[in-house]
Amino acid sequence: MSQNTDLLTLRSVSKSYGTVPVLHDIDLSVRDGEFLTVLGPSGSGKTTVLRLIGGLEPLTAGEIRLDGQDISRMPINKRPFNTVFQDYALFPHMTVSGNVGYGLSVRHVQRKEIARRVAEALELVQLGRFADRFPAQLSGGQRQRVALARALICQPRLILLDEPLAALDLELRRQMQEFLKSIQREIKTTFLFVTHDQEEAIGMADRICVMQAGHIRQLGTPHELYYKPNCEFVARFFGENNLVAGKLGPVQGEQRPIETALGRLICSISGQPHLKAAPDGASAFAAFRPEALHLADSTDGDNRFSGTIADLAFAGSSTVATITAGADTAAQRLRLRTPSRIDGSALRSGETVSLSFAPHEGHLVLA
Amino acid sequence: MNALPRPSTIFLAVITTLVAVLLYSPLFVPIVSSFFTISHGDVDWSSPTLSTYRALAENHDILAALRTTLIVGLCTVVLSVVSGTLLALYYHGRRSGRSILQFIIFLPFLMPPIISGLALLIFFREIGLERSLLTVVIGHTVFVLAIVYRTVLMRLQSMSRTLVEASYDLGATGWQTFWRIILPNLSSAMVGGAILAFALSFDETMITILVTGTQSTLPVRLWAMMRLGFSPDINALVALILMFTVLLCVLAARFLIPRQMATERS
Ligand SMILES: Nc1ncnc2c1ncn2[C@@H]1O[C@H](COP(=O)(O)OP(=O)(O)OP(=O)(O)O)[C@@H](O)[C@H]1O
Ligand SMILES: [Mg+2]
Repeated sequence: MSQNTDLLTLRSVSKSYGTVPVLHDIDLSVRDGEFLTVLGPSGSGKTTVLRLIGGLEPLTAGEIRLDGQDISRMPINKRPFNTVFQDYALFPHMTVSGNVGYGLSVRHVQRKEIARRVAEALELVQLGRFADRFPAQLSGGQRQRVALARALICQPRLILLDEPLAALDLELRRQMQEFLKSIQREIKTTFLFVTHDQEEAIGMADRICVMQAGHIRQLGTPHELYYKPNCEFVARFFGENNLVAGKLGPVQGEQRPIETALGRLICSISGQPHLKAAPDGASAFAAFRPEALHLADSTDGDNRFSGTIADLAFAGSSTVATITAGADTAAQRLRLRTPSRIDGSALRSGETVSLSFAPHEGHLVLA
Repeated sequence: MNALPRPSTIFLAVITTLVAVLLYSPLFVPIVSSFFTISHGDVDWSSPTLSTYRALAENHDILAALRTTLIVGLCTVVLSVVSGTLLALYYHGRRSGRSILQFIIFLPFLMPPIISGLALLIFFREIGLERSLLTVVIGHTVFVLAIVYRTVLMRLQSMSRTLVEASYDLGATGWQTFWRIILPNLSSAMVGGAILAFALSFDETMITILVTGTQSTLPVRLWAMMRLGFSPDINALVALILMFTVLLCVLAARFLIPRQMATERS
């Protein structure tokens, strides 16, 4: 089971509800054994993607392939996928073991075999003691784990999870994130996990697929999305970022300058051919993370500018400064993040400072 | 909730009590007086007795009427629960035609019973169906169908759609989903609907009088007894019917008011 073979591919998949288009020409490959997270704001079409794959909704156009075979028209109960629903969808009239064993019993697996596998699955999600309870007698986190056990008992090729942790409080959520991740490693099954919480996505995913308004904006590792966003939406949506608009200058090897209100900013374009290919003078943004921005001794030279500290916010391990930079007419609001110190920050509110970031820590996105 | 000023609470309490007494006390008179002898048309409050009940038990006409009522009630329950459930299942989630269907189902329930009864009577005569217990059962079913349909439909609508989706997702067929997920979740609504249907059929008089053949049900029998004059066993009969109906309604409420299935089992 190598992570590089594609398990599932969506090819130019579109979906409309009535006349309202919801997904536009989606292409997506899910690799065998990976933890793929679909991330996007509310209404971007994440649930719809999941429902199309699960077979709960018909496609409007395009096709879905499993191991290269077209399964677009395969009925839901024949697809080797199982879903963990956001509201758990546990059967209220069945006990925990009844719920977990349901997928086997509808396939007429022998009673003894069902009992054995149910016990095994409950052991895996650490709910052995709760086999005879009803869903209403469980806590939110326990229900969640029953739903997971119920989904994985049929040994599906792919487990679909639609914001399964959204209803849990923060602490429980952290625990469940680790728990899900460890289970996924243990059973080596492919997980397709929908969330609108980017921290959750960063923490759990092997790869993240960012969606917006029915389009996939970018698909890549959390590291790639963080450091090489390919569009303004991803650059702004994924983590805190500083974006400064400007016009591209001529390519200089693996770097490219951009003329902005803060002067000339030189950014890295390594490994991003589309940035090399963009014409001179094209509109773009320089993007640099708050932790890449730091104090400089002067404002002379590239990637250097002055700014006034408008606000300082202590956020535990780090301190975030909000800075107004550039001329009054084109003032930019930037954020700078520095590690907090016990004897207070070196920064003072209202102070004017010189700032810079290293060219390899800045990147470009086309406007 | 904001407390009302004290004088107005007292005023409200007095009014509510008065209304309750006026509305409901007539119901208790026959129950209480059924335990006393009646002489010269007046209740003799000095001699408590069970003789009215003994007279009732020896009245073969009444016992036969009771048997008829039970048969009609049970047939009505079976017919209305099966057809009401099927209709609810069919029209759940279907937009087209649903409001027309609901209107038709509710019409006999909302119309004055004499109109429903006459309509049925004319209908039976047109198609040449003799008046008998069968026509009574049909009449009752038409009358109570709305209640069963509504009860089951409401349960269906409150059932999470994802339960059915989850069942399919786990590999179940349509049949398996119906028997193992949908039906068990509907069952208490069906039992509740059945009890209500039985209670309605048990009391139904107007339609029954119009469409019955030679056999009469208990309320019809009662009606006939009243015409001959006020006899003490009528008190006993009314008391029994009243208590029975109340019991049925309490039972129905138990099944229909949602509660946590699991906590009650533990
Ligand atoms: N059954 C439906 N009929 C019509 N429109 C729908 C239906 N389901 C979803 N939509 C629309 O499709 C779009 C995408 O919905 P979807 O549920 O996939 O979003 P989402 O990314 O899962 O959002 P959220 O994070 O809020 O769950 C939304 O604009 C929604 O209004
Ligand atoms: Mg959703």
